[in-house]
Amino acid sequence: MTSLASTSSQSLYDPRRHVRVDAERARDVSSTDFPGYWPDEDHSWNLEKFKERLRVKVTRKSNRSIEFDLVGVDASIANAFRRILIAEVPMVCIEHVYVFNNTTVMVDEVFAHRLGMVPLNVDPALMEMRDSSGQATDRNTLVFRLQAACTRNKSAPKDSTDPAQLYHNSEVLSSHLKWEPQGEQDSVFANCPPAPTNPDIVLMKLRPGQEVDMELHAVKGVGKDHAKFSPVATASYRILPLIVLNPAKPVPPHLAHKFQKCFSPGVIDVDPQTHAVSVNEQNMRKETMSREVLRHPEFEGCVELKRVRDYFLFNIESEGPYAPERLFPESIRVMREKIATIRKAAQALLSESLGTNGDVDMEG
Amino acid sequence: MAEGVPKIRILKGAAPDLSAATFQIHDESHTVGNALRWMVMKNPKVEFCGYSVPHPSENHIHVRIQMYDNLSALSALLEALANLDDLCAAIDDAYTVSLRRDPYEVWDEKS
Amino acid sequence: MNQSQQPGQNANPGSAAGGGFGQPRQEMEYICADCGAKNEIKSREPIRCRECGHRIMYKKRTKRMVQFEAR
Repeated sequence: MTSLASTSSQSLYDPRRHVRVDAERARDVSSTDFPGYWPDEDHSWNLEKFKERLRVKVTRKSNRSIEFDLVGVDASIANAFRRILIAEVPMVCIEHVYVFNNTTVMVDEVFAHRLGMVPLNVDPALMEMRDSSGQATDRNTLVFRLQAACTRNKSAPKDSTDPAQLYHNSEVLSSHLKWEPQGEQDSVFANCPPAPTNPDIVLMKLRPGQEVDMELHAVKGVGKDHAKFSPVATASYRILPLIVLNPAKPVPPHLAHKFQKCFSPGVIDVDPQTHAVSVNEQNMRKETMSREVLRHPEFEGCVELKRVRDYFLFNIESEGPYAPERLFPESIRVMREKIATIRKAAQALLSESLGTNGDVDMEG
Repeated sequence: MAEGVPKIRILKGAAPDLSAATFQIHDESHTVGNALRWMVMKNPKVEFCGYSVPHPSENHIHVRIQMYDNLSALSALLEALANLDDLCAAIDDAYTVSLRRDPYEVWDEKS
Repeated sequence: MNQSQQPGQNANPGSAAGGGFGQPRQEMEYICADCGAKNEIKSREPIRCRECGHRIMYKKRTKRMVQFEAR
């Protein structure tokens, strides 16, 4: 926290960083850090200054999700990464379904759609995107086979009513998908044979005599094409809530607990002796910004509700092959690829315009 | 990208010296549009920058750049792209360092 | 690079269904609507299940491969 307080522009309490939250309205929503907005101040792009202000801090991580703070960037940047996480980080999913037999109660197209949604554990870096020709090769297509037939279990207990006991294969599970290596794939995927991330997804229920026999082709794609390719369950950010008490108008001690209850649990501390009210800096981020405190006239002027405009609390839940901590760097990689593509095109445009001028000069 | 569609095109009506131009960027959206707009606006030589998605079913964005002192909008665009790349690299580094060094809570989530 | 198999291109599902050209015509199997037993029915034979005597039969689903997009 000392680094934050070192200069005024890096303090959480710098009013320029604040979005004000009123009862019925948000104020100062737009950022103002552009050249020409503040007289005699330099807000032009400066990488060193940016790095000084930038702060990334991982706060919480599980096997499926990660939470981190991204501080000192504009909303347009944070939002770009969020959008990329949802729509442009690639994943491998079943795309084509070849049905040889399906005598179940589920229609082919409905089941095919369902199969597409099954998350696979395949690292997308090991595969190529299919090109416009759509030609299937061992570098861009994985083949799975799904064969299941339900039969009666002769040795089931007489009085049983449980389909799992009465029949064999009463359910088609995601674990029934069997990978069939093609070409070089045996060695490429030796470390981690392709399979669904979760083997227990019930895809459909079967009864004796019903049978499915399908071949499934999985390809690499992105979420903007179809949501099944999205590698995240959620990728979202909140902006840090900030509660500023007015020292000139303290909360009356007899109303301290009422005041505390206007906020999320843990956000407001009340001194047990003096009943003086204070904000718990660590828990401030838990505030839901219900604005309850603004409904009570007795608290008018006691407190200001704000958000820190450039303080993003990211929460990313992985659904698919990526470890949660790998997702954000992956979104940065995709962003840089996009920038590189545009840069190359712009460079070509520039040399083209210079080139034509050069030709004219030579003719002259 | 579809065959024959250029990644960037300068729309007609641009100033001959390119001090004011609208760029049509193919196969991009708000993701790049807004971030790029912000970075171009960080350039003090830029008089105006704005972007739009002209139609939701057309897969491109328009970025309008107007410059002071008859400078080239294309150069400003290139500079902004380079800066945006630096910014991404800086965030990537900071994240990697935090992941390695910062103490954070590790918990087990049932799936 | 090896080409992975595209069933639509080289599999010949028609032969599996018994409807291929120049092959001896196989008897059509039907499924009893009541007991699910397989029945072969020849022409001008009464439509009746050998197992249970039920008079309603279902035709089997085609073995011909059908392609879908998982969307």
